[in-house]
Amino acid sequence: MLASLIHPRVLTALMLLLAGAGLSISAWQGPADAMLVPRIVLTIWCAVAALVLIGECAKRLPREGGGLSPLPLLMAAVLVAAIAMASLGFLIPILPLVALTLWLFRIQRPLPLVLGTLIIGGGLWFLFHHVLLIRLPALLTSGLI
Amino acid sequence: MDVILAAAGDAFTWHALLAIVVGTWAGIIIGGLPGLGSVVGLTIFLPFTFGMDVITSMALLIGVYCGSVYGGSITAILINTPGTPQSAATTFDGYPMTQQGRVDEALGWATFASFFGGVLSCVLLIFCAPQLAKFAVNFGSVEVFALVCLAMLCIVGVSQGSTLKGLVCGMMGFFFSMVGSDPITGADRFTFGNYSLSAGLTLIPVVVGAFALSEVFVRFATRDDEAAKIPEARLRLPGLREIVRRGIELIRGSFIGSFVGALPGTGAAAAAFISYASAQKLSPRRANLGKGEPDGIIASESSNNAVTGSSFIPTLALGIPGDVVTAMMMGAMVIHGITPGVRLMADQAQTVYSLFVVLIIVNVAMLILSKPSIGLFRYLFKLPQGYVMGGIVMFSFIGAVSVRGNPLDLIVMALTGVLAYVLRRGGYPLAPLVIGMVLGPELESSLRRGLLISRGDFFAFFTHSGIASFLFVLIGLFVVWTLWSSFIQWRQHVNARADAVPSSGNRQ
Repeated sequence: MLASLIHPRVLTALMLLLAGAGLSISAWQGPADAMLVPRIVLTIWCAVAALVLIGECAKRLPREGGGLSPLPLLMAAVLVAAIAMASLGFLIPILPLVALTLWLFRIQRPLPLVLGTLIIGGGLWFLFHHVLLIRLPALLTSGLI
Repeated sequence: MDVILAAAGDAFTWHALLAIVVGTWAGIIIGGLPGLGSVVGLTIFLPFTFGMDVITSMALLIGVYCGSVYGGSITAILINTPGTPQSAATTFDGYPMTQQGRVDEALGWATFASFFGGVLSCVLLIFCAPQLAKFAVNFGSVEVFALVCLAMLCIVGVSQGSTLKGLVCGMMGFFFSMVGSDPITGADRFTFGNYSLSAGLTLIPVVVGAFALSEVFVRFATRDDEAAKIPEARLRLPGLREIVRRGIELIRGSFIGSFVGALPGTGAAAAAFISYASAQKLSPRRANLGKGEPDGIIASESSNNAVTGSSFIPTLALGIPGDVVTAMMMGAMVIHGITPGVRLMADQAQTVYSLFVVLIIVNVAMLILSKPSIGLFRYLFKLPQGYVMGGIVMFSFIGAVSVRGNPLDLIVMALTGVLAYVLRRGGYPLAPLVIGMVLGPELESSLRRGLLISRGDFFAFFTHSGIASFLFVLIGLFVVWTLWSSFIQWRQHVNARADAVPSSGNRQ
């Protein structure tokens, strides 16, 4: 019983319900005029998420194969790179991220990995930042990197 | 007439034509690579448009859009794997023709049917969009509110998977659009003390995260490194006599696609299956369908490409996108200074007519570029998936940050990517999330303006005007129909389980 309740689909529905409930509290504490529509939307969100949760609990969901996957590592790397870009600029966080993506997708021989990282990461950054002049976040105030 | 000539002049500049060629060709290639599709194609090319003028940038994006819808048919025919969901019905007859050694003929019919459907829907767009825009001038706040509710319900009702899950995603999209300053009072909402959030969330980082980045995560979770074997293929376009012989099929598929495309939430995949189902009933050669009959390819390809033109009818005339791709196109239009909606035809008629001309040129370009593109697929399928995924990650970051230069958009994109992956694994459709985010501001402002007009009486909305009453009746009917069909599905499910229990008991 407990095993079926910690199924990813049940947890997803529960997460949505909790997120909606948390945001609803914030909406009901805010100014009535500005929060009129958010209150309606979040109330519907919570009600429907509760129905989805009941539906997922009632279903006999098949067990999903466990096992460690490096996917959370890729997700964390994307998030860290996104946060780091505000202070480190675009180029420095994107190079390790592209290298990690290539490595996780089994491009692991040194030469293709380095060339792929430099061409996809560095080359496209140079194209947009310096050739097309679409300014990406920069480390130096001059915008060089 | 002067406006149309000026619009044609804008579309026939060398840079617009170059953008059409590059966009269409790239769209064909991206559409043909299974799993990538139109949204990823638009994500890759959106950052390139920021330094371009309006017509050139839209020419590039429309080229990518139309090219990708056609491109999906090439791999559907060659390796029985549709590049995009829109081309899934093409595999039914396309791949059997390849197995019979008629691959050149199959590709020829797919190309010509795509071209025919695309051009016919452009003609309909040219006639229908201005008429709809003229009619929509009668819409006030209450009517717009009813229309947005109806559009959202349609999108949720026909979205893949559970209706309830679609509704949760729709509400999530509405919520995303409400983060930031309140448009009427200016009060901060859901900013949690973060000054950067006061500017609100923009559409492009959310779409890029939800579709492009989550695709990388999904691909990683379900890796398959086996390279597909592509047969030797050339393109053989059908002769005039063959086209006349199958003319009815071409026209029927194109009209079905045009009609379905103009409805919110349906999209090209639904159009292709509806058209294929009609061919199964009406084609004189229906007995051969599914065994390698060109009528099956015509039904699927003419209808899915007809959607590309007609989906612009509600987008341009009402500001209501039909699906995720048109929502993203709408976001790109707003970035380039085009605001879709009832005033667009009156305020920017020349620009709109230029887009119509561009759509027709794109379809001609698709016909011309199909031949050199097909040969490329033999080499593209040998490219390791990692390079494509690395490129998508890179373009996702560039696309998200270059819209308004706000690093917060990168975090929004990354978080949306993770959230979208979780939702996809849980069977939640993502289209309502994006459409909800597009329609959210219009829903809110029309509701609040309507309440001011009716002095806070919401029930006065139902009798505000004939159009409003009609739209609310449609909403009521749609809700009843959705509940009824859900009930029927539930009853069938319960009956199936009840039937299964005694049989499993007998085995024991």
